[in-house]
This record gives sequence, C-alpha cells and structure tokens, in this order.
Amino acid sequence: MQGLMDGLINGTIIGLGAIGVTLTYSILRFANFAHGELVSWGAYLALSISAALGALLPGLGTPIGPFSFGWSVPIAIAGSIILTSTLALGVDWLLFARLRAKGSAVIILVMASFGAALAMRNLLEFIYTSQPAYFTTALQISKPLFAGMRATPDQLLVIGLSGVLVLVVHLLLTRSSAGRSMRAVSENVQLASLSGIDVRSVIRMVWILGAALAAIGGIMSGLLVQIRPTMGLDLLLPLFAAAILGGIGSVPGAMLAGIIVGLAEALTVQMIGAEWRAAVSFVILIGVLLMRPQGLFGKAMA
Amino acid sequence: MTGILTLQGVVSGYQADLPIIRDVSLGVAKGEFVVLLGPNGAGKSTLVKTVAGLVPMHAGRVTLAGRDITNVPAHQKLRDGLGFVPQTENIFATMTIRENLQLAAQILPKARRADRIEAMFQMFPDLAARPSTRAGGLSGGQRQMLAVARALVIEPEVLILDEPSAGLSPKMVSEVFEQLGRINQTGVTMLLVEQNVRAGLEIASRGVILVEGRVAHDAPAADLQGDPIVSRLYLGGHQPRTKVS
Repeated sequence: MQGLMDGLINGTIIGLGAIGVTLTYSILRFANFAHGELVSWGAYLALSISAALGALLPGLGTPIGPFSFGWSVPIAIAGSIILTSTLALGVDWLLFARLRAKGSAVIILVMASFGAALAMRNLLEFIYTSQPAYFTTALQISKPLFAGMRATPDQLLVIGLSGVLVLVVHLLLTRSSAGRSMRAVSENVQLASLSGIDVRSVIRMVWILGAALAAIGGIMSGLLVQIRPTMGLDLLLPLFAAAILGGIGSVPGAMLAGIIVGLAEALTVQMIGAEWRAAVSFVILIGVLLMRPQGLFGKAMA
Repeated sequence: MTGILTLQGVVSGYQADLPIIRDVSLGVAKGEFVVLLGPNGAGKSTLVKTVAGLVPMHAGRVTLAGRDITNVPAHQKLRDGLGFVPQTENIFATMTIRENLQLAAQILPKARRADRIEAMFQMFPDLAARPSTRAGGLSGGQRQMLAVARALVIEPEVLILDEPSAGLSPKMVSEVFEQLGRINQTGVTMLLVEQNVRAGLEIASRGVILVEGRVAHDAPAADLQGDPIVSRLYLGGHQPRTKVS
C-alpha cells in the first residue's frame, strides 16, 4: 500500500509538469522537449533564493509547524515562479518566437526545443555541479494515515497543493476571459485573432503558466527527494506520457494521467523491479498512441 | 477614393514577389452593400483577407472611417470597427453558442457585453433557442448565422463576409442572404464576397468584379445583372479587361 502513496505523490508532480506540456502543445502546436528543464531550473532557482534568504535572515529557516522547511521556501517558490517564467519567456523570445515568425515547420521547433533543453541542462550543471542538492536535510517522520499507508506532512502538503493548483488552472481556463482566449487560440489561431485576441499575449500567458507549474513541481520534487540537474530530463518521458494519456489540452486530464503514470511506476517498482520504472511511461505512451491517440479527455482528431 | 472603407493601390499576396492582388482601389460608402464577384482565383478572398489583416500587404493604403488601418494588426482592427466573417472555420466548434458570442464580445466594455449578446440572440432567434449547444453540432446555416452574430456583437462599422453561402443548400442561402439584407438595413455597411453571381447581385446595391487581382467592373448591381459581359465572364470564362464604369 505504501507504494500507492509514493506513486500518488510522484504522480501529482508529473501532473503539474504535464499541464505545462499539454498547454504548450495545444497553443503553440509543438512538443516542447525543453519543458522538463523548466522543472529543474525552477527547483534550483528556488534553492538559490531559499539559501540566500537563509543566510541573510536565519529566522526564515525555522520550520513552519509540522513541515520540514521555514518561510524561506514559500518566499523562494514565489521568486522562482517569477524567474522561471522569465526564463521561459526569454527562451521563447530568443528561439521559438523567431522560428514561428519564419513559419518554421513543427519538426524544426521540436528540434530547437531539444537544443534548448541541452543548453539549459548543461548550464545548470555548470552553475550548480551535478551533485544532488537539498532544500533541507532534516528528516521527517511519516505518520500513519489509513490502510497501512504513511505520509510525511510535506508529502500531504504536496498532494493538497497540487489538487488546489489543478482546480485553479481548470477554473482559469473554463471560467475566465483569459482562459477563453487560450481555448480560442488553441482551436483556431486565425479566428482568435479576428475575434480581437492578441495571440502573442496568449502565448506569453501559456509560457508563464507552464513555467510556474513546472517550477512548483520541481520545488516539490526537491522538497521530497532531491534536486539534480537531470531531474527534468528524467521527468521528460513521464510528462509526455501523462500529457498524451490525459488528452492534449485537458488540464484535469493531465493531472489524472500524471497520477496514473506515477501509480503505474510505483506498482512496477514493487511488482517487477526498480530497473523497469523508466519503461512504464514508454509503455503507456506507446499504448495510448496506438489505442486511443486522443487520450482520456481529448477530442478525436478529425 | 471616398467612403467609410477605402482601398488605394492595394498590392498583396502571401509572397512579395508573387502578388495576388495587383493594384486595387475601391471605396465602400456608409450603409452601402457591395458584392465582390469574380472567377475562381481572381483574388476575391485574398482581397478581403488583406483588409482584415490576414494576408501581407506590399503596397497601398486601407482606411476605415477615416482612420488608416493599413498596418493595424488583425486583432486590433475590430476596435477600429471592422467585422470579418471568414469563409470556413468561422466559429469555435468546441465552444457553446454563448461562449462564441462571449469571446467575440470580450473587446467591449464589460457593461455592454451582456446587452450586445442579448441583441444578437434577438436578431438570431435560432441561436437564442439553444445557447448552451456546442457550435460544432450546428447545421451549416446555423453555423453561418453564429459566424455573422460573432462579427456583429461588436457593432462594426463595416462587416466583411467571405462567401457565407459556400456549402449551403439553396434554401439556406436565401435565408442567410435575407438576414444579411436585414442587417444592412440596420445601417451596417457590407462587403460580401460571393460565388453565386445572381444571388449576390440581387441582394447588393453595387457589384465589383475582380479579375486576376484587378478591378474589371465596378457598377450598380442592377446594371451588372443585365450585362451580357458579366454572364459571358462566368459562363464562358472570357475575361474582358476594360472597365464598364
């Protein structure tokens, strides 16, 4: 049963990243293989802010209630969201926007995203080295929940916060005029433009939203496990498996599929062996593409 | 050129060295109903898409109500009072009828949005009967009505329609055209691209015939209706080069 809890936690982090992948895919119409790097950058940027705050104001490092971290971490999350979004907008300005303006084919954008991922990952390794880093080294004791499952307060916070984030993003997309604009651009860029929607501002909104969720996912992963420059790369396949399983463009679908991928990974580790973990996303990805390419909540392609 | 919508020396096309529209000058007066006719490939759709900001313009000038809108991006032309209904994919199929109208009304001040959507429901009772229906499930005629309503929500000065009769049954075409006539009578200036010459000239007050990216004829609709050159142009494919007016 404990495997289920671990899978659920890992799945919510995959889900947060997959929401960004699904939104970028549906609005910009290409698979952004650099999205995983936003997860890593988000975690490292938060780590730097948190470390700087801890050094300047040691009081901020005192743990809040039952959690393993102090106020420096929530402040670092806010700072990291701003910086990671700026990074995503910067990469778009430097690379993707120029290719879009030239009318480049999708494959060029995908290849460019591979290049961007490589550059972003290596830059991270150059700055922070490949040694794992931690927000806190304090040990947390997990508390029994039910049916033999245990979880630490940090883990429960991650699950709760992920649920709230999915709800907020889902409401944003379905109820607000900004969300309606995003859905419009996702369905028909030209008609959206003729409806008075500034497509460039919608694209900026998508980068900010995707980067913010990726950063939060990275920070959560860092809080519960560790931070490594390759954490985004390791998440890449699960992110795409979840985005496609959930149905491109579906926010609740991405989260639910993220949890399914996380649970499938945990069960595989328990029942078959840890070395098969990485194969799970691959099997899910291939299975969905063959049997239900529109995913769980996506619309069948015409 | 004078009028609420004017085009002066417009040259446009997807590639600068391959213009589709070659030097078009045209004026549409306030309240006028102009139909743009021409053989396939004449550049009718390209011309209206150029005005809407969807096709790059390489030379010339476009004004709307005295304002130069030549270099205004497509999404801002609505604010200048230009409504455009594309020929295909002119509604958001995954959204409901109400959501389509809400989206179109987004550029209006908040206080006016609900009133304008309500006005559209009164103008198109067919749409009012099913506001929560997904637009993708509507019939061809209803889709066109929604596409027109989407463009009308913002109360445009000029409404441009790119072949609204395409793919519709004759009965639907006459229904859509009747509705367009009623809209014109409310004071909306109309520029309609049409393949159906007879129907187009019956509804419009003036006809402009485009041939190979240039204006070949520009005359009152009644004059063009009885013109043997016009029927020869469409029936035999002969393309006269001289203007009749």
